Amino acid sequence: MAEDDDTLRALRIEAATIEQWIAIGWIAPRGPDATGFSESDLARACLIRDLREAMGVNDEGVGVALSLLDQIHGLRRALRQVAGAMHGLPEPMRREVLVILRAMDEGA
Amino acid sequence: MSADPYDVLGVKRDASAEDIRKAYRALARKHHPDLNPGDKKAEERFKAVSAANDLLGDAEKRARFDRGEIDASGAERPPPRYYRDHAAESSSYDSEAGFADMMDEDELLGALFGRGARRRQGGGQFHMKGGDIHARLEIEFLEAVNGATKRVTLPDGAVVDVTVPPGTREGQVLRLRGKGTPGLGSGAPGDLLVEVMVGQHRHFTRRDDDILLDLPVTLTEAVLGARVEVPTPAGAVAMKVPKGSNTGTVLRLRGRGVLRKDGTRGDAFATLRIVLPDAPDAELEAFAESWEAGKAQNPRLGMES
Repeated sequence: MAEDDDTLRALRIEAATIEQWIAIGWIAPRGPDATGFSESDLARACLIRDLREAMGVNDEGVGVALSLLDQIHGLRRALRQVAGAMHGLPEPMRREVLVILRAMDEGA
Repeated sequence: MSADPYDVLGVKRDASAEDIRKAYRALARKHHPDLNPGDKKAEERFKAVSAANDLLGDAEKRARFDRGEIDASGAERPPPRYYRDHAAESSSYDSEAGFADMMDEDELLGALFGRGARRRQGGGQFHMKGGDIHARLEIEFLEAVNGATKRVTLPDGAVVDVTVPPGTREGQVLRLRGKGTPGLGSGAPGDLLVEVMVGQHRHFTRRDDDILLDLPVTLTEAVLGARVEVPTPAGAVAMKVPKGSNTGTVLRLRGRGVLRKDGTRGDAFATLRIVLPDAPDAELEAFAESWEAGKAQNPRLGMES
């Protein structure tokens, strides 16, 4: 954890603070040794720091924001998978999907 | 990045520290890249806002900037990390709460991701409805009208008995639920879809639920009227040919057409066609010779040549 402490200092996050965030469930470290932080965990910690400090969001608001953001990223992943699946289709089918999507768009 | 930090934050030169903090928070909430995961330009805007705040949010730096001792480029910050860049690669925090209902309801989406099931059961369990099998079935005209049971051989050699309901139409697709390919996991099997081709009949044709036929009658029957037997898909029925009927006269046999789903039937329509004797008949010739009205009549009046 010593290396993590240095990293956290550079990110202007207190070790005690991040422990609280882990306890709340905002961060769930799953690093290589089960205790360390992954890049993803640290980036998430920076986001929480920005939400609280730069944006003045209170703790209740941070929880709401994280939950919505996690849903957005889940949706973005799903959308990428759909797009990937569509790229795997033969050209005529891909064109057909585009026509259907466009028709839906105009119908909406 | 060297734009005037007061302009970037949208505050006056004499703004209080509190005004600057408020302005920065509002802009940070608006432009933070993690709150705009799909907007590449958000990072640039957020950087500018953060740099302006680094300068003006610190009383000492702000004073030095105001005195012209440092410029707006300010101090270097450590390269920022944004969560959105990691969220794209790792899924440990991703949530399906935004669309789990859609995956449960939509087989295609559920199969595409297979994630709801995978996470809930902790394994590679995967459920998907089986595929539909398409087949064609040729049947005779009366089998379509009256209904029939036909045997269909599928591409894989399996044999299925298909019930053709009365009133089946050309091109109609019969769906046999669960007779398609088996599903995966606890997914239901697909359906067997049988497209029906209906053959022609020597005497009958079909118009929706009605049966049409040409009915030959003798000259005598047409002139004097008669009771005749008329074939229909459900068997022969007796019909009265009125006195003085002609070729082209259409007679309706109510309820002798095709069985409908509601139990009622369409009608049969017999179009009369007067047929002379096969062999020349001396008596008929003698009559025609002496029949003056027959010579005077011109049925082609009004026909254009």
